[in-house]
Amino acid sequence: MATKMKTVKVQTSNRVVWITLLIFLVVPYLVPGNIISTALATEIMISGLFALGFNLLLGYTGILSFGHAAYFGLGCYGCGIAIRDFGLSVWGGLCVSLILGVILAAIVGAIAIKKRGVYFAMISMAIAQMFYFMALSPFKRWTGGEDGLKFIPKLSLSFPFAIDLQSPIPLYYFVYFIVGISILAIWRILNSPFGRLLQAIRENEPRTLASGYNVTLAKFISLVFSGLFSSLAGGLFCIYLGYGPLQTLYWLTSGTILLMTILGGMHTFIGPVVGVGVFLYAQNKFSWILERWELVVGILFVALILIFPEGIVGTIKSKYLARRTASQEVEPVEETVSRH
Amino acid sequence: MPYLETKDLCKYFGGLKAVDQVNFSVEKGQLKSIIGPNGAGKTTLFNLLCGLYEPTAGKIFFQGEDITRKKMNRTSQLGITKTFQITHIFPRLSVFENVRISAQSRKTSFNFWRKADALEEINEKTRKILRMVQLLDSQDRPASILSHGERKYLEIGIALAADPKLLLLDEPTAGMSPAETVLAMDLIRDLRDQLNLTILLVEHDMNVVMNISDEVFCLNEGRVLACGTPEAISADASVQKVYLGGTKAC
Repeated sequence: MATKMKTVKVQTSNRVVWITLLIFLVVPYLVPGNIISTALATEIMISGLFALGFNLLLGYTGILSFGHAAYFGLGCYGCGIAIRDFGLSVWGGLCVSLILGVILAAIVGAIAIKKRGVYFAMISMAIAQMFYFMALSPFKRWTGGEDGLKFIPKLSLSFPFAIDLQSPIPLYYFVYFIVGISILAIWRILNSPFGRLLQAIRENEPRTLASGYNVTLAKFISLVFSGLFSSLAGGLFCIYLGYGPLQTLYWLTSGTILLMTILGGMHTFIGPVVGVGVFLYAQNKFSWILERWELVVGILFVALILIFPEGIVGTIKSKYLARRTASQEVEPVEETVSRH
Repeated sequence: MPYLETKDLCKYFGGLKAVDQVNFSVEKGQLKSIIGPNGAGKTTLFNLLCGLYEPTAGKIFFQGEDITRKKMNRTSQLGITKTFQITHIFPRLSVFENVRISAQSRKTSFNFWRKADALEEINEKTRKILRMVQLLDSQDRPASILSHGERKYLEIGIALAADPKLLLLDEPTAGMSPAETVLAMDLIRDLRDQLNLTILLVEHDMNVVMNISDEVFCLNEGRVLACGTPEAISADASVQKVYLGGTKAC
């Protein structure tokens, strides 16, 4: 027997997370603005955080929500209204986003977390549509109805030091700071005993129950975490745009985030961010060339899913792992041959 | 006082009396088998004991405590752990993680910040169990690539990791080759002797049952038909009738 046991292979290495953070750190300086503008890179980071929050529920716990627009939109409107009408700082606005996301997730969870599969998806979608219509007309006075949330004052930070959030680069690094910390936090949560429990639930719920876990509570908490990060992304989106578009609450937002997550690979940690990047990049480029860019993005999506059935990152990862196990299994054979 | 005891336990699905007024008990350290033809209510009885189903009537006591209405995760925490008739594992997780996640359930489930892989005590326990079920060499592989027999072993490992006092095994040798069955029987016997487990077994294979059980308990159409030592059961006229002739057919 070997003297020291092999350490357990971690599913995704820490390296992937650090490389992602490093890439985002240097993008505004190393990638020319005509390829990826700072604004586009900012949007990719924000939607990337949204997708990671969404995937905590979909890819890790195995729960499909078709109403994540509610968290994103609520975070966006909450942050904007807090800043505009209550005179809160940017930090205060983001805190409001966070708190609203947690409250909404707790309510949705209390109503629907015991429902399975498509039933949960439909309930979450119905709740999200309720928010959309509330913002559209009954609360028009505060939300601006179809026009979206406007008249947010020019944003800047005074704490910990003065930053003007009107210019792209400071805004980019402000978003980078928040998203970076969030990514590390999500990473940490997913690798904690609780994060592992979520994956066990996804893989086999009865078995997890039979091992003595309170599965319902774990699902509920995972929904709360997911809502928290999604609404934080919504708050950042409001700060990035300087206004709150009604589309953030629309069901299409829920659909798009699902699409981007699957495109990148829902069973990988960083896949959703890659999916967001590819999707937003394509959207950005084709909308210049073609008026009906959705057509091109649609074709592209179909093509990519055919090439990468497990999502871009998921497929690359399983190909890589298959190659590595193959080479590992060849080695001992060669060893025995050489002994003879 | 018996270790596990049921009193007039009933479970009806509509008009079907799957388990009907069953009284039985298991003593500590016993290896007891439940046999019976298809549809006799064996798996339903198991699911009642572990809390997956709620009984229609009757009571269940474990170590003197009333566990009748306790859900499966609660009974598991009390020490009743089951394996499923159709193997339940975590296919996309590694073999190691399959057992580790179960071992973790006794220590820390809602910890959001510590690194799961750094909990050495749990890792050590996981390796111990993997060694016991002979899967230590496959620990880094995804559970989905294991063979049928290995999966059965893995699920037993997952169940063991939850520190059971009473282990409910639902057809552990189903689908195994005769050679594999012999090995599985040895494993089950070892578990009882080395870990001082009380084991309750649902099994179709009469060889297995007669070989390793201390006591056999025969169900038919939801009712207790007979209970006794393997020798007594195989000599029992009513059991023979159910297995050979069938009651309704006569």
